[in-house]
Amino acid sequence: MKANTGAQYAALWPRGPRQAKVRPLAQRLDTLEGKTVAWLWDYVFRGNEVFEQLEQSLAAKYPGVKFLHWEVFGNTHGGDERAVVAALPQKLRELGADAVVSGMGC
Amino acid sequence: MLRASVAAESAGIPSATLVCESFMTLAKAASQGLGYPNIAVAPVRGHPGLQSKEELQRNVRELTLDGVLDALFKMPAAKTLGGEPGPRDVICSGSFEEVNDYFLQHEYSDGLPVVPPTVEKVEAFLKHTDRGPDEVLGVLLPDNRAATVWSVAVNGVMAGCRPEYMPVLVAAVEAMADHAYGVEHSGNTPGGETLMVLNGPVIKALGFNYTQGVMRDGFQANTTVGRFWRLYLRNVAGFLPHKNDKATFGNTWRVVVAENEEVAAKIGWPSHCTEFGFRPGANVVSVARYTGGNHISSVSGATPEELLPYIADAVLRQYSWQIMFTVGQGYDTVRPLLLLSPIIAETIAAGGWSKQRFKEELFKAARMTAFEFERILRDWTQKPTWNLKEEHEAGRIPAVFHESDDPQRLVPLVWRPEDFHVVVTGDLGRNSIYVFAHNGVLGFPVGKEIRFPESAGGANE
Repeated sequence: MKANTGAQYAALWPRGPRQAKVRPLAQRLDTLEGKTVAWLWDYVFRGNEVFEQLEQSLAAKYPGVKFLHWEVFGNTHGGDERAVVAALPQKLRELGADAVVSGMGC
Repeated sequence: MLRASVAAESAGIPSATLVCESFMTLAKAASQGLGYPNIAVAPVRGHPGLQSKEELQRNVRELTLDGVLDALFKMPAAKTLGGEPGPRDVICSGSFEEVNDYFLQHEYSDGLPVVPPTVEKVEAFLKHTDRGPDEVLGVLLPDNRAATVWSVAVNGVMAGCRPEYMPVLVAAVEAMADHAYGVEHSGNTPGGETLMVLNGPVIKALGFNYTQGVMRDGFQANTTVGRFWRLYLRNVAGFLPHKNDKATFGNTWRVVVAENEEVAAKIGWPSHCTEFGFRPGANVVSVARYTGGNHISSVSGATPEELLPYIADAVLRQYSWQIMFTVGQGYDTVRPLLLLSPIIAETIAAGGWSKQRFKEELFKAARMTAFEFERILRDWTQKPTWNLKEEHEAGRIPAVFHESDDPQRLVPLVWRPEDFHVVVTGDLGRNSIYVFAHNGVLGFPVGKEIRFPESAGGANE
């Protein structure tokens, strides 16, 4: 649009105050040997097959790695998503998860 | 997926989120609102839905595996969120055209000219609510921003609303912020768009169209409040196309639909707001997301029995993959919406059918075979097996889905008759209906009462 010489406006910011505070990521691992990996799934886009392939590849590379099946945690994107996700921290700790792989963002 | 990963990170457990390559920009945008702007993701090549088993396995081995290991072993560089203006900060001064150019460049506009939101205009809106300007109506994902009354007024100005619409806008944002509605899903691939439905004396008081062309733009109240919804999703929730809004195709925002309460009252049908538990006559705005819909023309018949098959068929044809929200991805979250033109509703009522009876008959008539229901779930939602019998015996779905083992038995679209929502509206003289395909848990129906300021002198009653 081209400027004109008409009325002048002092326009306000239309967004809302951001509520998120930046938080640190968890400490990363140096190996998966002897560790437990939890699969978290939103029950779409063939995540079960992707996890299966990853599990094979990771087990070949780290023979001592263990896995927690996605069914243990429930659908992370279903009708009860908020409850499932809210329960994750405690559930992951109780089950001894050392790492999480979460899919499928597609 | 990112929300689940964030839950793990918050518990001190490193995560890798599997993200299709075309969703990387969305992941980056969403991670900021979650407070983890440097969260690690592992790429998934192409889309799994279009790959053979062998291709998928190869892609996982060749690309995704390394991404997972990187995410779990390497600490990403720290990131910060940049500073932002305050709510009352003037971000641009200039002519109408200059302000609009600035808003376009900074992605605050939907592409149409906006009314410059000045302090004077915002304050005019605030006079139509008793809520304080800094009151927070909720916090909206994915940007994780506070939905303040002030920001409602700012976006209402921009949308071209009149100040007296403010109570409707506040109620609409309360509905947007209701967890049951699920605003965080508004950028998902189906691109379903929200429909707002209005009930109560507010319809006439504010001049909403509730007759012919009720879904057409051109009526200031219906049109601008509908536009406001999309602007608010953009500016406060943070749904920007090519960023947090990943709609494959998307829709333009819908204008507000108002019910014809005169006709509903005349035939003794409770208005739509009662489906949310409000008393008849209450001022209510309700919202829900729909992936699409269809106009059904010339619905003919002299009795409800004659009309029902056409209506039931129209409802059924709107639902294919969406039944994953009946059984599956979101159990019991499908709520089909039907708009009935007044003479259709009058003909049904003249046959002695209450609104509840109509829903009960529709529940029995809008059915498909169990074989087809399971086939859709199996073939089109990518879960390898579906068995309604097992779902019922596990206590996850009601008996109506498994009244026998016959695969040709008929099963409903929804769990109960009341799950059908019905609004009487549209052209007084035309025998049409409109059926919306509901988006299930990704936009569940929510209704909120519209509260007028005390100075309005009893307008709440």
